[in-house]
Amino acid sequence: MAAVTRLNLPRSFWLALLPAIALLLLLLAPLARLGFAGFSGEFNALGDLSLWQPWQDDYLRWRVLWSVAQAAITCVLALALGLPLAWVLARFEFAGRRLVLRLLMLPFVVPTLVAALGVLALWGPRGLISSTLGINLQDTPWLLLYGNLFFNLCLVVRAGVDALGQVNARQVAAARTLGATPWRSFWRIEWPTIAPWLMSSLCLVFLYCFAGFGLALVLGGQRYATVEVEIYSLVAYELQLGQASVLALWMLLLTGAVALGYAALEKRLGAPVRTEPVARVHPRDARQWLAVAGALAVLFVVCALPIFAIVIKAVYALWTGASGLFDAEALAALWNTLRFSAVALVLATLLGVLHALVAQASVVWRALAFLPFVVSPVTVAFGLLLLYPSWTASLPLLLAAYAVLAYPFVAKALSAGLDGLPAHLTQAARTLGASPWRCFWRVTLPLLAPALRRGMAFAAATALGEFAITLFLSRPEWATLTTLIYQRLGRPGQANLDAAMVLACVLMTLALLAFLLIEWPVREHATADSDGHGSRVGSGMTISH
Amino acid sequence: MNRRLFSLAATALAALAFPTLSHAGDELRVMVHSSFSLPKPLLAEFEKEAGVKLAIIKGGDAGEMLNKLILTQANPVADVVYGIDNTLQAKAQAAGVLDSALAPVDYGFVTINFDKTAIAQSGMALPTSLQDLTLPAYKGALVVPNPATSSTGYAFLLATLAGLGEEQAFTWWGQMRANGLKVAKGWSEAYYTDFTRGGGSHPLVVSYATSPAAEVFYAKEKRTQSPTGSLNLKGSVFKQVEGVALLKGGSHRTQAQKFIDFLRSPAVQTALQTEMWMYPAQASTPRVPVLQQHAAEPTHFDNLPLSAIADNGAKWVARWTQVVLK
Amino acid sequence: MLELRHIHHRYGDQLLLQDVSLQVQAGEIVALLGSSGSGKSTLLAIAAGLQRPDAGSVWFDDVDISAVPPERRGFALMFQDFALFPHLNVQDNVAFGLIEQRLPKKEARTQALQMLEVFGLSPLAQRKVWNLSGGEQQRVALARALITRPRALLLDEPFSALDADLRVALRDEFRNRIRAAGMATLLVTHDAAEADAMADRAVRLMAGQLVPDCNGAAG
Repeated sequence: MAAVTRLNLPRSFWLALLPAIALLLLLLAPLARLGFAGFSGEFNALGDLSLWQPWQDDYLRWRVLWSVAQAAITCVLALALGLPLAWVLARFEFAGRRLVLRLLMLPFVVPTLVAALGVLALWGPRGLISSTLGINLQDTPWLLLYGNLFFNLCLVVRAGVDALGQVNARQVAAARTLGATPWRSFWRIEWPTIAPWLMSSLCLVFLYCFAGFGLALVLGGQRYATVEVEIYSLVAYELQLGQASVLALWMLLLTGAVALGYAALEKRLGAPVRTEPVARVHPRDARQWLAVAGALAVLFVVCALPIFAIVIKAVYALWTGASGLFDAEALAALWNTLRFSAVALVLATLLGVLHALVAQASVVWRALAFLPFVVSPVTVAFGLLLLYPSWTASLPLLLAAYAVLAYPFVAKALSAGLDGLPAHLTQAARTLGASPWRCFWRVTLPLLAPALRRGMAFAAATALGEFAITLFLSRPEWATLTTLIYQRLGRPGQANLDAAMVLACVLMTLALLAFLLIEWPVREHATADSDGHGSRVGSGMTISH
Repeated sequence: MNRRLFSLAATALAALAFPTLSHAGDELRVMVHSSFSLPKPLLAEFEKEAGVKLAIIKGGDAGEMLNKLILTQANPVADVVYGIDNTLQAKAQAAGVLDSALAPVDYGFVTINFDKTAIAQSGMALPTSLQDLTLPAYKGALVVPNPATSSTGYAFLLATLAGLGEEQAFTWWGQMRANGLKVAKGWSEAYYTDFTRGGGSHPLVVSYATSPAAEVFYAKEKRTQSPTGSLNLKGSVFKQVEGVALLKGGSHRTQAQKFIDFLRSPAVQTALQTEMWMYPAQASTPRVPVLQQHAAEPTHFDNLPLSAIADNGAKWVARWTQVVLK
Repeated sequence: MLELRHIHHRYGDQLLLQDVSLQVQAGEIVALLGSSGSGKSTLLAIAAGLQRPDAGSVWFDDVDISAVPPERRGFALMFQDFALFPHLNVQDNVAFGLIEQRLPKKEARTQALQMLEVFGLSPLAQRKVWNLSGGEQQRVALARALITRPRALLLDEPFSALDADLRVALRDEFRNRIRAAGMATLLVTHDAAEADAMADRAVRLMAGQLVPDCNGAAG
């Protein structure tokens, strides 16, 4: 049955209204304003600023080139490490494999500041590993690259596992019988299948690294900070709005170009095909067991160790009786974080549901759901600052900005869920007497509950870890845990660092709690999983079970 | 699931109501930089006398704090601000965020401090001029805060410009960069991480003339001599005067004015010497003994006229970034 | 009587349905044959109100119901993949339509149980639907459809997903139950033998036009 149920124009219009307003006012308009400020040189009172300044000025050019370089290097590292890891996870069967696949999503719920602190706890000036080995990584690019890998390795591994699941077992078998060695078979059969998926995920990795802020701010140091940090410095410390807007404009153009490349790649990928995947085998000999152990070890060191390091340092700090860690300031920040995230979650869920419903009928809206992913929070925050000067430091704007940045997770997860929902179910419900609203309420929503929860979990984690917007738009009395951590980091001395570690531990626990509460109790619905395929990581980080 | 969603929504919307309640303006909001510190009993006494609760808002570095005030002008985040110094005064007035003249509260001298022990151990002689620091003997010895992000670093930059003249100053900076100059984000990083007293490897740091006295004050054992000293080289001393003013658009005018008077009262003028390590602006206030003994005021300092700073400050910082950091 | 009058419909730039008119009397089972992609399912969707035709109208008992939404037409639709709701057990699936008719939940459940007894499926009442066999699922689907007392029944290749023996068995059972309920029934199938066994008459959709089926005979 051609499952085309044309939404009446009025209905999809009303559904799209709220997300459209949100995107327009809080994302597109600020970006346009920023672009205009940079292009027209309106803050360029002295007239000595040109559009090409980031390329002419040595210092800025270094910043831009380094921003590109660190993203590119991370991509290479993530691929080099991630592909073998994905291969091990996809081809071998061992106890705990499913748990590991599940846990791969965890770095995404870790707030960027917490991750930065984790890297510091391991490799920083008084880090657990660096002080044992006696090396000093301060003022080197390795801290930032390690932080980048923490987040993005799992992305590539995830994409790799999904991609390897798409390889047709019969094709591989045919190749082997035709005389191809395992390596040749991989190179000639498997690699062409998985390459587009991997490239697509690498685009995402590049975007995250390029447009990332929290990690670069804390780990970059003076020399290896990225353009995003430079924009923030220019605005916050020097009030050089002119230079900042020129830089921001170039950032917009560059991220836009990469985002377009990503969209083109995604389009070429098409829908996942149902093939017979290559069966997983138990590791037989020592070499294979070594491969599995090695893969797990790498994953542990890159993705789990920083978190453990924070916990260790925090526990140690509390043990040695660092008093005043939970002073009024910290409690106020905790309260702010909780209430902002709760409101943002509600708004994000509402927006996400509406957007997902509209995206079913419109390709444009599907693409629009990507938009908040690919813009950097710093440029959005800066644009909001310029566009609504009288609303700076007002709560509605702050919360709305939170919601706009968090809701794509809900929209993507729901879209994927809706895609997987057989059309016949809603049609049957309609013919059994359910109006469109009743059908949504009684059939669609319950069946989408797992996907909705997944999206909400990520949206909640995003809101909890939100940093850039709060830095730009918040009032001092609305300091959240993330800005407080950053403040404490800015003050010298072991006591402040300890306080930051403890706060980071609290924040991470909150993020984990949100993740577990919302995501864990997953009831398996045969229909939702009947296709058995995992949606591409690039299309919203949904998990294949 | 329906009920869970609804209760979540209800609590969230209730939480939304809270901010409007807590934002009730029954507090006097004071914006300060992160080095602000006064004894709690003193502040409590003020609260009792003025009949208003104090909300001390730390806005980061002085320059950062001023930028925040400028950016949030339409909806001011505080009623009174302390910590705007003479280098930022013109910018504050030009932006129109202040509602009264800056009343001086304290002053200090940005200068180079040296670690006596580290210098003795390394066997280097004390430099006698800024030019000495570019010699190989002092390679990697000095750490300065970044003028772009630190008002201390900014003051030091201005001192070199005043002492050496613009062109020579930037030449000097270029030579310093080649001679292993370390740049830290702020004064705290420079002093507590990179200076040898804080566990770092640089025996010379841009700090304050009062820092040696602070070292004695906070030392665990009693000391007659400070472990650090001030160099006061020509072209390296800047007199920084900090003031307090009312913010445009703020509330609680009478209490804010009382706070201004409070900061200039004898009790605070005495207390701030050992809390914030600055000299009191009120001439009649006696110096506390530890400052008298270990932190003599430099006799000479190099300040540029305020108008020059106002016109060229940003340009100089940009050039400095080019010369030193690129 | 269910009537489709002069239905025209395009799919992309292909003319799917051309001036299709069909009458199904109460109690009559009409089989709609045709190869895949010929538009049979689209015609069914139009009849159910899930799709609007480019031109033409749908009438029931001489009332134009073209503008009536599917939930108010009172037609039941059955699918090849059974379309049972996975988040509800068998009993609640069957009770679904009754709840939409504003029956209180308890009452609906009781009636559903009675219906399941009639079908001989009451042991399955509390089971999850995906644990049932294909034949059981389709029978539950029929129970779910019939309990709402629909005015017409629209069947979209209901047995295609089942194996041959099951198909024959269910064929007879369905025909008897539908006859007992006495409603107009439109059965879409690609299997001529099935059409033979179940339907009173057959029509064929060819190149967008309805022609009487040459092999059609009384079921």
